Amino acid sequence: MSTGIVTGAARGIGAAIAHRLATDVDHLILVDLAPELADIADAIGAAGTTVSPVQVDLTSEAGIQAVVQAAAYGTVDALVNNAGITRDARLVNMTTDDFTAVLDVNLGAAHRLIQALTDRFSEGAGIVNIASRAYLGNFGQFNYAMSKGGIVGLTRALAIELAPRVHVNAVAPGLIATDMAMGIPEDIRERMIEAIPMKRMGEPSEVAELVAFLASPRSTYVTGHVHVIGGGRSLT
Amino acid sequence: MRIVHEVPATIRTDDAIADLLDVEHGVVFQATDVDDDWEHIAAELCAAFDATKPAAIAGDPVVYIVSSDALLGRTGAGNAMVATGLLSAARTLAAEVKRDGVPVNVLGITPETPVEAIGTWVGRLLEPGGPTGELVQLGGTQIGKALP
Repeated sequence: MSTGIVTGAARGIGAAIAHRLATDVDHLILVDLAPELADIADAIGAAGTTVSPVQVDLTSEAGIQAVVQAAAYGTVDALVNNAGITRDARLVNMTTDDFTAVLDVNLGAAHRLIQALTDRFSEGAGIVNIASRAYLGNFGQFNYAMSKGGIVGLTRALAIELAPRVHVNAVAPGLIATDMAMGIPEDIRERMIEAIPMKRMGEPSEVAELVAFLASPRSTYVTGHVHVIGGGRSLT
Repeated sequence: MRIVHEVPATIRTDDAIADLLDVEHGVVFQATDVDDDWEHIAAELCAAFDATKPAAIAGDPVVYIVSSDALLGRTGAGNAMVATGLLSAARTLAAEVKRDGVPVNVLGITPETPVEAIGTWVGRLLEPGGPTGELVQLGGTQIGKALP
């Protein structure tokens, strides 16, 4: 029986990844702090995949151990570290609390979860860490960019350390049509889209398709790289 | 009207590098070796935040010094997270202060990089009107490898 884990699975890109991975694995462990996780788990479970929802805070040791416990039977074949938050401000206005909160969730939780599962990955397993195009630098996101840059470094180091048993990649989405993106004022969102060569937002399902490939045994020769999915925005 | 808080330079580097620097204002922050314990990694990144925010408020330049090997993940997860985290943070701050002409850069070094070269390049990367948002790597170990 193959097992996959998706963190930050309750909504947006994480929910899309969960739905997509459900077609590739037998057992899906879905992790999120938000109560909407139950709805996603029910929907996927109704389609036939065995689902274990784990509603926890991954910045706590208890949260990490709850995920490890849910994966206690068998090996882990795919892990997608997607949990993340934003607390945007220019650095001159950024509080220490907002700085550390973003680091702890976006980077610390991913690092500690992988550490806790290191001995549990199967031969050919795939880890996909969700970064962001903001790792290239993004106004008003000193904390978020640092955390996502850290995810890139984590990905590279683990690609070396866990090879050849496990392949590790990062996916860096640009503007994706999630609730977060739709919350951006329309005039600003339209200007952002105008700067994207593909002239549209990405769909969560498109990110999910890339993640599913990188998490699967089909991509074991691809490791240690950042895959930007942003409609070409990094070029303009 | 702009209020500029004058702050003294903040230098956190190896002694040999610090001895060569002549910096009146700004931040020169060198990443130190960390293990893979999250508490230690977070402490190093928080130290960078604490050093950098006053410089951002004062409109002073910033240079982070990181290991080129760490940027590529060759020296463990902890060092990689710190090095690449600082690079992304520098790129972000560079975007925030670009309009004011304040440079924010990253210098990648190897254990073999002469300290004199490090001192020279730190000086160049702090100069107003010079490059900003850039990663300059000394030593050549990055040639033919992935772009950070």
